[in-house]
Amino acid sequence: MNQQTGLIFFPAFDWSLSATHPEREERLLYTRDQIFEEGILDLPQVVEYKPRLATPKDIARTHICIPDVEAQVTEAHLAAAGAGLVLADALMSGEIKNGFSLVRPPGHHSMRVVHGNRGFCNINNVAVLVDYLRARHKVQRVAIVDTDVHHGDGTQDIFYHDPNVLFISFHQDGRTLYPGTGFPEEMGGPAAYGRTVNIPLPPGTSDEGLHYVLDNLVLPILREFQPDLIINSAGQDNHYSDPLGGMKISAQGYARMAQKLQPDLAVLEGGYAVESALPYVNLGIIMAMAGLDFSGIREPDFDPEALRQDARITNYISQLVDEIGQLWSRQSNKSQEFTLTNGYYQRTKHLFYDTCFIREEQLEKVACCSQCAGLMDLVSAANLNKGRAGKVRALILPFQSCPGCQQAAENLYKQAKKQGGWEHIYLSDRSGDRYLHYDGLAKKAREY
Amino acid sequence: MIIGIDVGGTFTDAVLLDNRMGKILNTVKVPTRANNLLVSLEQALDAILDGVDPGLIQRVNLSTTIVTNVLAEKNYSPVGLLIIPGPGLLPPPVVFAKKTAVLSGAIDHRGRVTAPVKPDEVTAAINEFHSTGIAKVAVIGKFSVRNHSQELEVDQIIRTKFPQWKVEMGHRCGSQLNFPRRVVNTVLTAATKESYGGFARAVQEALTRRKLTAPVMILKADGGTLPLEESIAAPVETIFSGPAASVLGALSLTNPAKTGVVVDIGGTTTDLALILSGRPLMSSKGVSVADSLTQVRSFAITALPVGGDSHVCVENGKIVVRPERLGPAACVGGPVPTPTDALKVLGQATIGSADLARQALKTLARDKAAGTHAAGDLISVEEVAREIIAAVCQLIKQGIEDMFRAWQEEPAYRVWELLQEIPARPKTIIGVGGGAPGLVEHVAGSLGCRAVLPPHGPVANAIGAAVAKPTVRICLRADTDQGLYHIDEEGYQGSLSNRQSWDEEDMVNLARTWVNKRAERLGIQGDPGSIETTCHEIFNLVRGHMTVGAIHHLILETPWQISHFVGGEKP
Repeated sequence: MNQQTGLIFFPAFDWSLSATHPEREERLLYTRDQIFEEGILDLPQVVEYKPRLATPKDIARTHICIPDVEAQVTEAHLAAAGAGLVLADALMSGEIKNGFSLVRPPGHHSMRVVHGNRGFCNINNVAVLVDYLRARHKVQRVAIVDTDVHHGDGTQDIFYHDPNVLFISFHQDGRTLYPGTGFPEEMGGPAAYGRTVNIPLPPGTSDEGLHYVLDNLVLPILREFQPDLIINSAGQDNHYSDPLGGMKISAQGYARMAQKLQPDLAVLEGGYAVESALPYVNLGIIMAMAGLDFSGIREPDFDPEALRQDARITNYISQLVDEIGQLWSRQSNKSQEFTLTNGYYQRTKHLFYDTCFIREEQLEKVACCSQCAGLMDLVSAANLNKGRAGKVRALILPFQSCPGCQQAAENLYKQAKKQGGWEHIYLSDRSGDRYLHYDGLAKKAREY
Repeated sequence: MIIGIDVGGTFTDAVLLDNRMGKILNTVKVPTRANNLLVSLEQALDAILDGVDPGLIQRVNLSTTIVTNVLAEKNYSPVGLLIIPGPGLLPPPVVFAKKTAVLSGAIDHRGRVTAPVKPDEVTAAINEFHSTGIAKVAVIGKFSVRNHSQELEVDQIIRTKFPQWKVEMGHRCGSQLNFPRRVVNTVLTAATKESYGGFARAVQEALTRRKLTAPVMILKADGGTLPLEESIAAPVETIFSGPAASVLGALSLTNPAKTGVVVDIGGTTTDLALILSGRPLMSSKGVSVADSLTQVRSFAITALPVGGDSHVCVENGKIVVRPERLGPAACVGGPVPTPTDALKVLGQATIGSADLARQALKTLARDKAAGTHAAGDLISVEEVAREIIAAVCQLIKQGIEDMFRAWQEEPAYRVWELLQEIPARPKTIIGVGGGAPGLVEHVAGSLGCRAVLPPHGPVANAIGAAVAKPTVRICLRADTDQGLYHIDEEGYQGSLSNRQSWDEEDMVNLARTWVNKRAERLGIQGDPGSIETTCHEIFNLVRGHMTVGAIHHLILETPWQISHFVGGEKP
């Protein structure tokens, strides 16, 4: 058994959303300086890998990109997503014991359907990784722990109906921060109820509160779920110096969290205190994952007094943990978000893409199926820059779909093509690892 | 005329080069006396100068293993190590340091002081060093390449207390970000400077006695040269110049335009170097010295533990080439069979006795037979020889493939680097070194490559020393927000006046004045305009939606070149 930690460091020094955007070239510059100066890449416990570009098919396995994958990604996105896949291969072949994909751009706000950039994200690197692990390496049960200060709404959306993926997100309460979701009641679709766990923490939560949540909620749930693999969506913006978040977590708090979670793979998400947090938090996570002593890591301005947690916050968190724990253990309660119509659970979603000002209306229907997680039938319309709202249709089969749902998907796909009126029609067959796209305007079909 | 001398571990080679015609006039090979490199050098020098007017020599280029020898023989006085690691990791212990003390103080990644040095701690540490007889100190701070003020502060305290001590500082000994490697560079400098200086002066005297007044240059591991006088300040730069010399020699002899591999087969090791578009690949971090990692820039050389004198034996009925040398080949009176004996049996080696080689391989045939059920059914000596050659070739072939893969998998930090097309696999295998003839053809054959065995291959390293050219390189890092800039190679840090108004061109001009100054100091003649800007990265610094400045990173260097292609036409 190899004991090395795999690291992909891909700072994309030649790519940015715009010159002054937080997601710019400078973001991982000081992380590089710290990693290089500490000599991390010379440690025998750490082995560095080079990212590869994910293929359009790797992206199509997870996302419905409108109109197609090529329109939504740049090479930087493919590299950030592909980095995770390189580490997945290394992990599954036993070359490494765990891995950290320290890459940008991030991904956890990207949802199933992608009309554009949401919350700095186009492609959900972690979701692409998880689907790759299941399609390529036949991994069954995966737990994703999202430790970004923002709710991982994209990842939640993608796995909301998947009973084999446990998604746990703790984040700053959505009433106080983008994207405004991630409340305890969001617990998964009817076929995957309890497979989504949201822990909205109050601003001002410090290491103490975070570790209370880990010890009393996150770790017990993980133990009960018994995943084959744990993936960490590692956002570094809970740090006390982050300009966007309001939390009080230190680099030590982060490193100890990585030590407790023992993720098999970690993937960088957000974190925009580029000088004061990222070099130290990233270093701490690498050290913790490599099993090395990280006790010497400390921010230059670290002041335990200033980071002490208010007693009211401590009480609040302890109550919150009790409540969510009870919700989790009473999983017989069914989701209130969906109505059952003609054999489909359905809900309507209104989504806003903050980066490119897109509004999307989505009708999400999931077949009520006793044999599998159920065929998903999505209708989406978005007002793109011209104000036009063309409708697209996506039929998405889960992993290990049943023959009934497979047949239904094929029929609906054919029907929709005949029927017309759709700008684009997609069929994602993840059991067969085959992804079809029919362009209704050009009347052209493509298979990824 | 130019003299090139390579003082290697086993042999000292010298060549005399006609610098106008680009032709080799004479070559010499004498055994190296490990305990007296100077004598070996003088022997080679006298032989090559025989009948030559010393006044006609225009340059003497030397490559030596002196620093390696000083370290191997522990021929240095004890070094005390003072480190300022700040928060984060402690570097691994350094074998070349007698005592280590950790000091308070800290500099962050942008060169800001985040914790002060405590003078009392420094005084206590150096008093302790003094009591154990230490009088040489290496002082290294984390991020000292971004701000060396704390190293200077410690140096000042030492000078006041022990003015006669020799102090080496990290920012002068290693210019890259990598604290543990900079620590090793600095300790090695402290350890070897005195012995190296003595050697350098003795070399200078030896040359003067022979009425050689031409400039004397020392080869570095990166294939460039330094004036002998300048090298005294940076002896670690000269470490592992031997492999660099043989790569340069191979290139001078063959001038390969495309992808190839230089295979230098010696007695105990085989050095591999990758040639891409006619240039040797540089190592991304630096060489390792006795298992300690340094920041010394060098060609990317892979050393395989196999050579002409490797010990060959039978293990589990199989011919095995072991990574050790028990003596010379059996055909020249050595104790055990070797690949050289196999070549001798196959008629592909010129040295030694064929009978002794056959006898040695016969024992292997017997051992092999004893391990199989068909005892007594001896395989022929020729067959054993072929098996040995095949085993050696397999090891080298594997080494070449691993090296090529490692290069393809070098990390990339920019999108364009990922999109680079991967060049074709190597086409040419250039064999140099004493062990190459007879082996390289087999290696090339098994890789589907063309083998090139240039004439004078056995003295390729001396040719490489002769054709090496002085190089100059500076890295400038400027932070216009803080109004600071650094010239890494000079250990200089200065301030930028009028912080906001520095644009791209101003930075290039600033770097150019520094590189010209350095070129002049290193005695590099020729057109300073030929110095290229090989890297200029700009990171805009944005704080609260405002661009407050930029970090510039520039590298200016002389283009890679050698002075003569002695084996063919100049391109």
